Amino acid sequence: MEPFRTHRGQLALLDWSDVNTDLIIPARYLKRIERTGFGPLLFADKRYAPGAAPEPDAPEKAGPLAADFPLNSPTFRDATLLVVGRNFGCGSSREHAVWAVQQAGFRAVIAPGPGEGFADIFESNAYNNGLLPIELPDADWQTIAQATRENPGRAFATIDLETLTITVETQGESTPRAKIAFAIPEAQRTRLLKGLDAIAETLAHETEIARHEQTRPAWMTPTAPH
Amino acid sequence: MATTLFRKVWDQHLVVKSDRANLLYIDRHLIHEVTSPQAFDGLRLAGRKVRRPDLTVATIDHNVPTDNQLVISDPLSRKQIETLRSNCREFGVPLHDIASGRQGIVHVIGPELGLTLPGTTIVCGDSHTSTHGAFGALAFGIGTSEVEHVLATQTLWQGARPDTLGIEVTGRLAPGLEPKDIILAVIRAIGVGGATGHVIEYFGPAISALSMEGRLTICNMSIEAGARAGMIAPDDVTIDYLASGERPFAPKGRDFDAAAADWRSLRTDDPSTYDKHVSIDASVLAPQVTWGTNPAMTVDVTGVVPEPEATPFATASDARRALEYMGLRPGTPIEQIAVDVVFIGSCTNGRIEDLRSAARVFRGRHTASGVRALVVPGSEAVRKQAEAEGLDRIFVEAGAEWRQSGCSMCLAMNPDRLTPGQRSASTSNRNFEGRQGPAGRTHLVSPAMAAAAAVTGHFTDVRKLLSASA
Ligand code: SF4
Repeated sequence: MEPFRTHRGQLALLDWSDVNTDLIIPARYLKRIERTGFGPLLFADKRYAPGAAPEPDAPEKAGPLAADFPLNSPTFRDATLLVVGRNFGCGSSREHAVWAVQQAGFRAVIAPGPGEGFADIFESNAYNNGLLPIELPDADWQTIAQATRENPGRAFATIDLETLTITVETQGESTPRAKIAFAIPEAQRTRLLKGLDAIAETLAHETEIARHEQTRPAWMTPTAPH
Repeated sequence: MATTLFRKVWDQHLVVKSDRANLLYIDRHLIHEVTSPQAFDGLRLAGRKVRRPDLTVATIDHNVPTDNQLVISDPLSRKQIETLRSNCREFGVPLHDIASGRQGIVHVIGPELGLTLPGTTIVCGDSHTSTHGAFGALAFGIGTSEVEHVLATQTLWQGARPDTLGIEVTGRLAPGLEPKDIILAVIRAIGVGGATGHVIEYFGPAISALSMEGRLTICNMSIEAGARAGMIAPDDVTIDYLASGERPFAPKGRDFDAAAADWRSLRTDDPSTYDKHVSIDASVLAPQVTWGTNPAMTVDVTGVVPEPEATPFATASDARRALEYMGLRPGTPIEQIAVDVVFIGSCTNGRIEDLRSAARVFRGRHTASGVRALVVPGSEAVRKQAEAEGLDRIFVEAGAEWRQSGCSMCLAMNPDRLTPGQRSASTSNRNFEGRQGPAGRTHLVSPAMAAAAAVTGHFTDVRKLLSASA
């Protein structure tokens, strides 16, 4: 996994609550057995005009965009930081949702409500892929959402994972608009900063795993041959 | 010290423990064709093996056609299924394939094969893994990176131990009411994010009175409230289910006795130890129908489509978007909403009792003109059982389609899907936009309510039909 230390990027806003993973990546695209190619499929049923979404086997061949989908605004074209509403990524466990967000160019997603900003599985999936899920107290989230609303395309933020701060600025202005502190679990922070491979880390605990296997009750293993 | 069912199972599976991270041992890893191909690729790239193929089991469910499982015309679906087959061969993972007699939706076959046991940890690359918690297992959905991690290590990293939410369901369900109505009422009460970060434990007289099938329906939808997992403490109902002699992978003989003794200790000593507590009275419930685009957007069948300003847990603008998508106007009585398609099936309501309760409504009636009704058993075993009981004939005589097992119109990865604008009464678990087909409109209901909509052509309080036929 690519390490994440600091990142500066443009902010984009999708101010909807309870955005589910079926919306982020519709089920028909899960037939793909690859891990790539999901960027153009992000929000496919909202992002493209009716009937213009790409076919699962040709993600790059899309028709015209929908006029009214907030993220289609040309001012968000270069955005790498996605500001979203509460309970983002609820529903299905499909990691394809994280791949789609990431492959569409986003490095971090920012949601309101500590402990409530992201659905649990989406959040783990995000960490496992190096997409940073940041949950902020409502007031701090509002500051960032408001900055994006007021200056679409000119709102930027720098996320520093070493100091756990988000610096919000408006392009062309010399002083930052806000500096916001955030928190993520320390274990995840270490993994992201170092870009660690979770499996390699776990295999270092082979002795403990083997010891646990010796103490498991016999009935916990299926009895018949499959 | 008094502790909870969840905590007992959690503690028994901790391999590495710190305040920051916990490594949990996984007793069962269930695999299906959709979320596993990239995980097996990852293993291959790193030259890793599956650590415990004996604790891993695969089936094919999401892509399977339900008119004829053997003819998979969609080339992408076929490739995904064939990829699972070759991965299982290469890595030695047992597969309950199409035509094996044991194929079915992964969350339906786990319990019926005796793979799902109390006190175990169960994961699957599928959010409805919460279903298996009905046995007192700690069962939850994971992403594909985690599938790869479990394949390689048989363990999973977790953050701090989740909090618990005790949901007490008092009273008794009235005739015509089903477990689906309980869980829809729960989600309606706490919201789709109401249990985020929590493991739910369901308890109380209305839960104890349920069969395993009913408990599976309840735990299945825990994820729709955002819960990590849902659990019900094992009791005689659980142990009888596992002892019933048709569970090939469950422990036998003396092993079973040892297991049952362990299982009986798996209970919450004192409900006051839950971090949060919610109580619902089952005896006052009316049949539930969702009106919007998430499972908390639910009302009584006797009610009306709500005003967008009066929807709990949704902002007025979210609610307006939902109403627009659903093509509904506030104030419309639910019973006046006509349906095009009825879907009875899924890992929520595709088990034998669900089919029996739909058949009770269908018996001696016919689907309304213009309504297409699909009945899709959750597994091939359920299909055989239903046919042995003659339920298939009741469905067919009523003008419904009796199909083969799979996820089907629950998520429309196979050819069973709504066309744009069509409205369904569905026994599945998600009424998200596009879930049953692009621009399709889904209303979630119980199997009896789905059958009632099929025979009348619109949502109908099933209690009227049941009293008419009594
Ligand atoms: S029936 Fe529906 S919810 Fe259940 S596993 Fe299949 S697709 Fe998922």
